[in-house]
Amino acid sequence: MYRDKYFFLLPGLVVLIAIIIFPLLFTIRVSFSSWDVFQPGLDYIGGRNFARVFEDTRFWESLLRLSVLSVSSVLLQYVIGFALALAVWREIRFRRFFRVLFLVPMMTTPVVMSVIWRTIFHESLGPANDILQAIGLGTVPWLSTGTAAFISVLIVEVWQWTPFMFLLLLAGLVSLPREPYLAAAIDGAGPIRTFLQVTFPLMAPITIGAIIIRLIEASKIMETVYVMTSGGPGTATETSSYYIYIRGLRDFQIGYSAALSLTYLVIMIVSLTIIAKVLARMLLPREG
Amino acid sequence: MKPIKMALLLSSSIALAGQGALAQGDYSKFGIKEDLPGTCSYANIDKKDYSGKTLNIITHAIPVMGEPTALHAKQFSELTGAKVNVVHVPFGDLFQRIMIPFQTGQNAYDVMFYGSLWIGDLNPFLEPVPEFYRNSTGMKDVTPNYIGVASWGDQMVQYPVDGDRHYLKYRTDVFDNPELQAKYKEATGKDLKVPATWEEYNEVAAFFTDWDWDGDGEKNYGSAEVVKRDDLMFSAFISRVAPFAKHPDVKGGFFFDLETMEPLVNTPGWVRGLELFVEAQKTFPPGGNNFGLGDEIFSFGGGQTLMSYSWDDAYIQAMQTDSRIRDKVAAAPLPGSYEVWNRKTGKWDKFDEPNRAPYITWGWTSAVSKNSEVKDVAFDFLCFFSNEANTLHDLQIGRFGVNPYRKSHFTLDLWQGKLGWSEKSAQTYIDTLSGMDLSKNRVFDLRVPGVNQFMSALAVGVSEALAGQKTPQEALDGVAEQWRAIVDRIGKERVREAYAKVVALEDNLQ
Amino acid sequence: MRTFYLAIKYLALLLWSSFIVFPFLWALSTSFKDANAITSGATYIPWLQFKPSSQGWASLFSDGSTGINIVDPYINSAIVTISASVISIALGTLAAYGLSRFEFRAGFVKNSDITFFFISQRIMPPIVLAIPFFLMLKTLGLLDTVYGLILVYVALLLPIAVWVMIDFFGNIPRELDELAMIDGCRPIGAFFRVILPNSVPGLVVAGMFCLIFGWNDFFFAFTLTFTKVQLLPVAIVSLNSSVTPWWSLSAFALISVAPLVLIAFLVENFLSKGSLAGAIR
Repeated sequence: MYRDKYFFLLPGLVVLIAIIIFPLLFTIRVSFSSWDVFQPGLDYIGGRNFARVFEDTRFWESLLRLSVLSVSSVLLQYVIGFALALAVWREIRFRRFFRVLFLVPMMTTPVVMSVIWRTIFHESLGPANDILQAIGLGTVPWLSTGTAAFISVLIVEVWQWTPFMFLLLLAGLVSLPREPYLAAAIDGAGPIRTFLQVTFPLMAPITIGAIIIRLIEASKIMETVYVMTSGGPGTATETSSYYIYIRGLRDFQIGYSAALSLTYLVIMIVSLTIIAKVLARMLLPREG
Repeated sequence: MKPIKMALLLSSSIALAGQGALAQGDYSKFGIKEDLPGTCSYANIDKKDYSGKTLNIITHAIPVMGEPTALHAKQFSELTGAKVNVVHVPFGDLFQRIMIPFQTGQNAYDVMFYGSLWIGDLNPFLEPVPEFYRNSTGMKDVTPNYIGVASWGDQMVQYPVDGDRHYLKYRTDVFDNPELQAKYKEATGKDLKVPATWEEYNEVAAFFTDWDWDGDGEKNYGSAEVVKRDDLMFSAFISRVAPFAKHPDVKGGFFFDLETMEPLVNTPGWVRGLELFVEAQKTFPPGGNNFGLGDEIFSFGGGQTLMSYSWDDAYIQAMQTDSRIRDKVAAAPLPGSYEVWNRKTGKWDKFDEPNRAPYITWGWTSAVSKNSEVKDVAFDFLCFFSNEANTLHDLQIGRFGVNPYRKSHFTLDLWQGKLGWSEKSAQTYIDTLSGMDLSKNRVFDLRVPGVNQFMSALAVGVSEALAGQKTPQEALDGVAEQWRAIVDRIGKERVREAYAKVVALEDNLQ
Repeated sequence: MRTFYLAIKYLALLLWSSFIVFPFLWALSTSFKDANAITSGATYIPWLQFKPSSQGWASLFSDGSTGINIVDPYINSAIVTISASVISIALGTLAAYGLSRFEFRAGFVKNSDITFFFISQRIMPPIVLAIPFFLMLKTLGLLDTVYGLILVYVALLLPIAVWVMIDFFGNIPRELDELAMIDGCRPIGAFFRVILPNSVPGLVVAGMFCLIFGWNDFFFAFTLTFTKVQLLPVAIVSLNSSVTPWWSLSAFALISVAPLVLIAFLVENFLSKGSLAGAIR
């Protein structure tokens, strides 16, 4: 009877493996070749591409930049998303309106919205500076200095993906059991204590899941950078995936970009595992 | 049988049947004034029957080059009965869309429209232009510059459909304004004239920055340039460097020393060009150091800035009939330099007249794939695309991005007569463009395998210097280092062999 | 104190709302501009501040050479996204149920490793998969077809479906399964008769995520097609020439969002009824 369990798992697993196995093996194979724009095909050059990866400071810098960008944007999304979810959790006016509205940015195509944002941040023709000037705050060099460009990208990421956090956290809140709240009320706990002692711990598992998934997706950030700054000024906003894109499809260094990607993949898997463990230790109640 | 207009299956796929319905000689329904005689005139193409054949075309996004491609594809389909599919791709992704099928042996497109600088990478996959088309009336009229651009060694593998170059554009309502001339003289002690050197360019631009000199209530600025890192900035930089580093008497390479294949990109001439580029940032409009080509076009074409240099687009934008600054612009050759680095002697040579080195910037070109199964249809299409009537039509529509590349395009009658430009706007335009064809000190693109790798390394280095992360010398030293590595990877002989073909053009050996 | 707190809360909600709405309003205004209106600086209200033009919207529905026709890409996008989502959810739900109810073990590989394997498929940057996928579809003869794209999209969306559904099944009490099995059902029967009907909220969330990620994916739709099949994001970038046409991109941004906003309404509906309880945990 428990042979049935394979009926559940295998179709999905087999299909996924069937689709992904060739690309994955192929990528590994390519990473040991010198496939390049002038040299199509699979020769064997040993680990030379990987040796190059280790000396490629631009890649490691982009990785550092990516971690700062993705961690800070995911944290912002989490805090804002949680706050918004709490705000529209219980009965308030226009609740449905707010809930729908808060979901909308996630539905838009990033590559298109980035173009819109680029026009918004246009320093002389866009509304961002126009409005700042109108209220007397002066102008901001949105895309032309390193720090500002980094913040602009961050703003767009927060705009686009806070809804994702918002939805996950709101759905979590809606499904919380009532009993702990009654207990807290009997104890006479105020709203802040209730949040810290009841809501937050109950939301811990979903917090971990949401943060991990968002980190994975945020690390692939590409369109926003490409459209808004193309990595500049200098290399101030160049992230790993954008760098891999440049090497892979602009330069057409297929072999080298495969080596970059595999390195990136390993680093991501390791660090995500660590982050998940750390989060679990911090947020989940110790068992036993 | 009348043409059946099908509900189009795809955004730009055109499938039309119908032949013989057209009255002999009247093709005005295609939007041209009249058919003009020529090898691939409407009448001649009309005689062909390609029904049952399919032509797949990849081209640039709409409108630049993409719109004329779609337009003529539709006409071609109506005339010959061939089914023509067109796909439009933004510039940044055009290369990989063409290259992936080539490298994996997939016959995806019969005709490609792309940037001519990729010839070094693409030439193994291109079908040489057959003699019949090389002797066509249209081709005979193409200026030597663009025959050179289309050729790989002694073989023509690209089909010229457009002419491109960088030149200076400026506002005549400022330069010819006595009041502003006086103001400039008072402030700087110099006469206000169109810059002949890059130093002068920066000076004039600096004076006209951050105040409202056209009286429209908005601040104006000196210079709009293409500076966004991966958005064709390398071309702007090469324009700025050329007169310092391209010595008229030193042969044998601008990017590399052809003999040793040592990069020249960190020699003093290049560094000087970059220093002035860095300095010029003060004269950009807000956000100007992240301007892509589109921003540059809006900025100069929209009347925000005094000067600009790049392709024709901003000029044409400024000359649109509804433009605020129509007929207030003129063209001039790119600024030059009184001092030129001589790498043979290792000294700066002084010149009485500024050294000019026109940069025959890559531009749009077209080609037929070697794998194509319908090469005859493909070449007929390209020949038709650039036939006399179509070219004349396309030149007149700014957004098409088709710019003069034939001798017959450099006539005042066309620009002043047909398009109604002012004499100065038209005359300076023609003189500047045709003058570049006469120059013996031209710079061409680095048309070698892996050109994108070289140019992206260059753009990153320049961008770091512009952002102040490195000094110009450090930045270019870094670029030279990377260029050496790229040459090593590709193979020195292989790069040299390709680069020799570029140097042959530059040294006027062809 | 309480009113003060409420005022702060509404103010914050209002601020965030305007932040969200602003790009859309700006896009709406921009979609009616032309080059002249754009180069005269930031303006917001048509007629009052600039002369409106319809070229942005016209370029989306022209069938000729001056723009693109977005109707067919719209249909293609819908076909690919919906098919891939349905397949992913079907396979993903089964796999998720298996992983949440049974123990699998092969060597050192445990349930959590299999789960991680599913989710980790999303880590790989898509860029590097372009060429292998291209070669694979070439061998299968599926380049430039909707089937090829559906195949690739299943690999992209399946991990999302598995992730959402595992969390969801984790929240459904096991007693439910056991009750069904006491009634004589085998696990397969129990799943279809009892668990699946109780899983609609989870399926809705998983479906929404699949639709969003499928609808908005640009990269594979772009690399794996030539001239015959175009999806919506690919169609729109065919308007992104060297002169960025602010107007048509704005019009497009608005129109491509429309169907997904409907989904936002649907999801909110589930949330309000409380029937989403436990959909994601």
